[in-house]
Amino acid sequence: MFKALSATTRLSRTTLSRALPSFSTSSARLAIEDPFSKKEAPIIDNETVLALPEEIKEKTVHDATISVSTKVDVSPITGVPEEHIKTRRVRIYQQPKNAMQSGTSNIHHWEMEFDTRQRWENPLMGWTSTGDPLSNMKVQFATPDEAIEHCEKNGLIWYLDVPKVQKELKPKNYGLNFSWNRRTRVSTK
Amino acid sequence: MAGALARIIQGTKNNLGIIGPLATINNGSVRFQQTESTKTKFGPLADSDRIFTNLYGRHDWRLKGALRRGDWYMTKEIMLKGVDWIVNELKTSGLRGRGGAGFPTGMKWSFMNKPSDGRPKYLVVNADEGEPGTCKDREIMRHDPHKLVEGCLIAGKAMGAQAAYIYIRGEFYNEASNLQVAIAEAYQAGLIGKNACGSGYDFDVFVHRGAGAYICGEETALIESIEGKQGKPRLKPPFPADVGLFGCPTTVNNVETIAVAPSICRRGGKWFASFGRPRNSGTKLFNISGHVNTPCTVEEEMSIPLKELIERHAGGVTGGWDNLLAIIPGGSSTPLIPKDVCETVLMDFDGLVAAQTSLGTAAIIVMDKSTDIVKAIARLIMFYKHESCGQCTPCREGVSWMNKMIYRFVDGNASPKEIDMLWEISKQIEGHTICALGDGAAWPVQGLIRHFRPELERRMQAYAQQHGPSRAERLY
Amino acid sequence: MLRQPLSRALALSPSRVAPLGIRKFADQVQAQPDKIEVFIDDKPVYVPPGTTILQAAAQVGVEIPRFCYHERLAVAGNCRMCLVEVEKSPKPAAACAMPVMKGMRVKTDSDLTRKAREGVMEFLLVNHPLDCPICDQGGECDLQDQSMAFGSDKSRFTDIHFSGKRAVEDKDVGPLIKTIMTRCIHCTRCIRFASEVAGVDDFGTTGRGTEMQVGTYVEKMFLSELSGNIIDLCPVGALTSKPYSFAARPWETRRIDSVDVLDPLGSNIVVATRTNEVLRILPRTNEEINEEWLSDKSRFACDGLKRQRLVTPMLADSRGNLTPVEWEDAVVAAARALRDCPPDKLVAVAGELADAESLIALKDLFNRLGSENVCTEQYFPLEGAGTDLRSSYLLNTKIANVEDADFVLLIGTNVRFEAPLLNARIRKAFVHKETDIALIGPQVDLTYDYMHVGDSASVVKDLASGTSSHEVMKRLENAKRPVVILGADQLKTPEGAALLAYTQELALRLQDKLVDKEWKVLNVLQRTASQVAALDLGYRAGAGAQLAAARVVYLLGADAGLVTREALPKDCVVIYQGHHGDAGAAIADVVLPGAAYTEKRATYVNAEGRAQQTWPAVTPPGKAREDWKIIRALSEVVGSRLPYDNIDEVRTRLSEVSPALVAYGEVQDNNYFAQARMLSQSLQKPVSGKLDVQLKKLEDYFMTDSISRASPTMAKCVQAVLKQKQSPY
Repeated sequence: MFKALSATTRLSRTTLSRALPSFSTSSARLAIEDPFSKKEAPIIDNETVLALPEEIKEKTVHDATISVSTKVDVSPITGVPEEHIKTRRVRIYQQPKNAMQSGTSNIHHWEMEFDTRQRWENPLMGWTSTGDPLSNMKVQFATPDEAIEHCEKNGLIWYLDVPKVQKELKPKNYGLNFSWNRRTRVSTK
Repeated sequence: MAGALARIIQGTKNNLGIIGPLATINNGSVRFQQTESTKTKFGPLADSDRIFTNLYGRHDWRLKGALRRGDWYMTKEIMLKGVDWIVNELKTSGLRGRGGAGFPTGMKWSFMNKPSDGRPKYLVVNADEGEPGTCKDREIMRHDPHKLVEGCLIAGKAMGAQAAYIYIRGEFYNEASNLQVAIAEAYQAGLIGKNACGSGYDFDVFVHRGAGAYICGEETALIESIEGKQGKPRLKPPFPADVGLFGCPTTVNNVETIAVAPSICRRGGKWFASFGRPRNSGTKLFNISGHVNTPCTVEEEMSIPLKELIERHAGGVTGGWDNLLAIIPGGSSTPLIPKDVCETVLMDFDGLVAAQTSLGTAAIIVMDKSTDIVKAIARLIMFYKHESCGQCTPCREGVSWMNKMIYRFVDGNASPKEIDMLWEISKQIEGHTICALGDGAAWPVQGLIRHFRPELERRMQAYAQQHGPSRAERLY
Repeated sequence: MLRQPLSRALALSPSRVAPLGIRKFADQVQAQPDKIEVFIDDKPVYVPPGTTILQAAAQVGVEIPRFCYHERLAVAGNCRMCLVEVEKSPKPAAACAMPVMKGMRVKTDSDLTRKAREGVMEFLLVNHPLDCPICDQGGECDLQDQSMAFGSDKSRFTDIHFSGKRAVEDKDVGPLIKTIMTRCIHCTRCIRFASEVAGVDDFGTTGRGTEMQVGTYVEKMFLSELSGNIIDLCPVGALTSKPYSFAARPWETRRIDSVDVLDPLGSNIVVATRTNEVLRILPRTNEEINEEWLSDKSRFACDGLKRQRLVTPMLADSRGNLTPVEWEDAVVAAARALRDCPPDKLVAVAGELADAESLIALKDLFNRLGSENVCTEQYFPLEGAGTDLRSSYLLNTKIANVEDADFVLLIGTNVRFEAPLLNARIRKAFVHKETDIALIGPQVDLTYDYMHVGDSASVVKDLASGTSSHEVMKRLENAKRPVVILGADQLKTPEGAALLAYTQELALRLQDKLVDKEWKVLNVLQRTASQVAALDLGYRAGAGAQLAAARVVYLLGADAGLVTREALPKDCVVIYQGHHGDAGAAIADVVLPGAAYTEKRATYVNAEGRAQQTWPAVTPPGKAREDWKIIRALSEVVGSRLPYDNIDEVRTRLSEVSPALVAYGEVQDNNYFAQARMLSQSLQKPVSGKLDVQLKKLEDYFMTDSISRASPTMAKCVQAVLKQKQSPY
């Protein structure tokens, strides 16, 4: 019984671990959670209580995500030439707002891009040529963590550039334009 | 500048939010109920009830004459009765702003009586009478300037203002001269200035001459202009009662509003409220121009029927009442009304709003059947196009577009579908601009389309028959 | 391997709401008034009273379209694009100016709102020429985008068949800004920028109604060092960049985030390139440095990157003419000269655009050769604490915090041209925070009013000793957050050390009395982008006596004219490494072509002590190479190989010298002020000179370094300013 319990405490996301405080005999754990926050006693299904550790493990393997502790490196199988992995640096950044425009809706994501390699004008058509297969690879991510994970998985060297764009909110005031004693008073229109 | 009732109501709400609780509104409505009378006949005004007794300049306009007419009588006593008494008397009188928007004056003054934060307060008198058809303030300043100066003092006292600025239209040269003389006389007689009228209250009156821009008649543009900047309206909020002239609390009132205030104080708010329908009380200067036999400016009771006003004072429409085509009842910015509406409509705020127009400045422009109504309205739009300050987009671009279109309508060189388009464009301007000039430009067009659509279509048809389909049809 | 330690990178909260280095000062954190609840599209948001609807909407991620509104400019409320429906209000309200009220319910996507936007959009397009195909703003035009998003899908402008559209004559406002005034939608952003931020009240509107025009009334150049920003601000193509006109479309260019090095502030930039050519430079928002502005030199000098470039190694032939050679020959010649020279006769001089990587490589090479003679061009007094304490040569207050200052004392500096964006900050404080400014030094136009306290150095002494009876003394002592900025120009003079000592004394005396112990008063404004990194790395500031006895002089981009042939012995070998054929290359015997800041990944430390890195946008032209690599190659031939093979290893070496040099984007607070003050006390000698600055007028500003001297645009600017000065307006 005890064995089963200690096994469940290690595994999160099971009904038992959530129900544990009311089940435990330890006063220390009880004190953590406010008893008033509960509406009713948690229901523990018999199967969980009676299961053997191996069974619980088996179960969690099937219903939860698998976490693999070792680092995954897919670079040997991606087929990317080694020189592009070893010698290049990925910059993870948030696209800056185009200074020419006011809109910001297309910059709320994170991007990764490779460092710039030489480009030249193709003498035949005047197009820009490059010998760099990764020069157009810009990948978008929702968060920098995703980007970092992606880079590490691919064995890329990354650098995170956090833009300094946050500003505290200062209420704008139209009346300041006409203020009698402030320098914000406008002179021209 | 004319304004719509809708704007007034909204303004009140905004003011409520910003300026704080207003118990006065309740007083007002209670008062309206009290004066609810069964009076059904309005006008003519008895001579004894006239406020502007020298409207036609038959008497001396200077201090001596003014004193003889009762100006500056007991001014000190009125002032000593205190701020609350004056404001209350104004509220009782039910006086609504005479500049066009019709905001209750007593309430407007009471906004100024917040605890002071150290800034001075100002009274600004809007004497920039530029609305086509309107010429009432001109008469006051020409022939009864002391009424205005005294009004400034009383209004200034009521709101605790340090000074009054009278912004007078640049074209009013003689009026400005007379006003300046009146002010000088009042200073010399100790009526204004230090210890005005011996009441212990210091009050200055300044005259500021404009340079002839219609938009400077809009209150915030007027403030900008006094400050020496381009007369371009400000957004509201902040309202002038909060941030006005030189960034200080300011009230902007029309000349007529200010000029009637002393009489109201002397004869009592109840007396003033006894004229006209409830919520539209008082006497009013009406300007009657256009196709009438004797164009005139006349003081009459509010709520007088339009027809009676014209027949009695303006000698009737040229060629008889049946020769009437349409009337613009409140200055150029109000929508016109056709003859059948003119028969019965009462000249007051509510009556004209019910007729989908507005009292505005009560400048009645009469047009008989010889009028090219489309051209007449087109000319008004051209005026607005010329006077648009160019600050905000809908007015700057929209009014000039309307102007282009309506001049084509004059010839009929347009597609009938463009009538709806013009209507929509006028709706796109109305209510989307910073100030009311956009509204004022949109309304005449709306009035025209509302009442004279067949005429527009007829012209287009005639043009198409003569010249072939208009190029405007290409787009459809 | 990873240069930027992972832990440090991750320690930064990786979102746009990362906490900033800008501190909140004690008395600013006063009790905030209670926030009020408003509803934007039924989403509740709590904002302080007085916030506008537009700002409240931004809090919940609702972007209200706008043309005239700009968060860094005053509210104008004239474009009417931001009209939104407010429940219980018959008319739509201008979101940019209308303050929120408790419980207000705003609908940003209702029928009324959309109708209003569509109407405004239609009106804007009535008189806007549809010349997008030939407009430089095409592709990055707010009007284009917003008409797609909010405009009607069809035109009903029938009058195009009759009277057409309005046309407006173009204005000439100088060689940087091209105006096509017909496209103007009268948002007045440029006017507000000019009068509020640039402090040059030249723009305004004339005429009214549809005849209204934006312009300068009389034809006049826009005489500002920040003029280029109105190009960015213009939401349409009315104001576009003259040098960039018809050069490229935004979708053709690649944008590389980088850092500017033409002034000491290290403004953040975006370099737009196409086919290995820098086409234009735009600012990149960094609230701690340049906000979203950029000075004209930084923005427009980029055409100097294509001209006067050193594209191949060169050796002086027997007649003294430089002739192109292979890298091998040049490196061997340079190595031979270095190796054969006695160590005490070796001198290295680093110029104003040198990056930290090449600086450390050069210093390591010289140290290995037994020489300590590595200097910079800019002088800094070495007496007292000298350059040992970082606080003595940095902007300790930090650029962003200058905004919060309540009194600024400028000593011998024309901030307007030495660091235009720092001046913009001071002006911002002047306008918005009622900060007062005093200046000791020549009377110059700083775009704001200041108290002029004379130009004599003794004033500083009097202030420092507290004996001054000037009003400024009182103001400084009563200030809660005073800032003292000393211009590096003053340190060159013989009295420089004393002046620095007095400034330190003054600033630290003030600082000791402050309630806010975090506030830093002392600032030294360097003139160049390389100086701080060089001093951090242990370079000796200013080359002087060593030059007279030098046998080999190694110039690392030293073009300021400090080293001249006349100052050197006849037989001295001059090795020049750099990217432009300027003063340095002209006297060189060996020329090693390096890379400019847009062509290399390099570290620059700005005047605050903030390390930032540039990213290569293009490759160096011809045979030019990255600078640290040249020195590394040279070391190999000289025979004392430098122990780094790639940039990460160079940066590891940099972090050994000072971890601050690789803490990119961050800036540490400086300490040891008291020690510096103590060490400087002995230097407080009597001073009697006059303070003078190098850059006095706008025409002095444009061409100050080898890149801007090579730039035709900058030359045109100088010409235009001189011409404007002759005009009666």
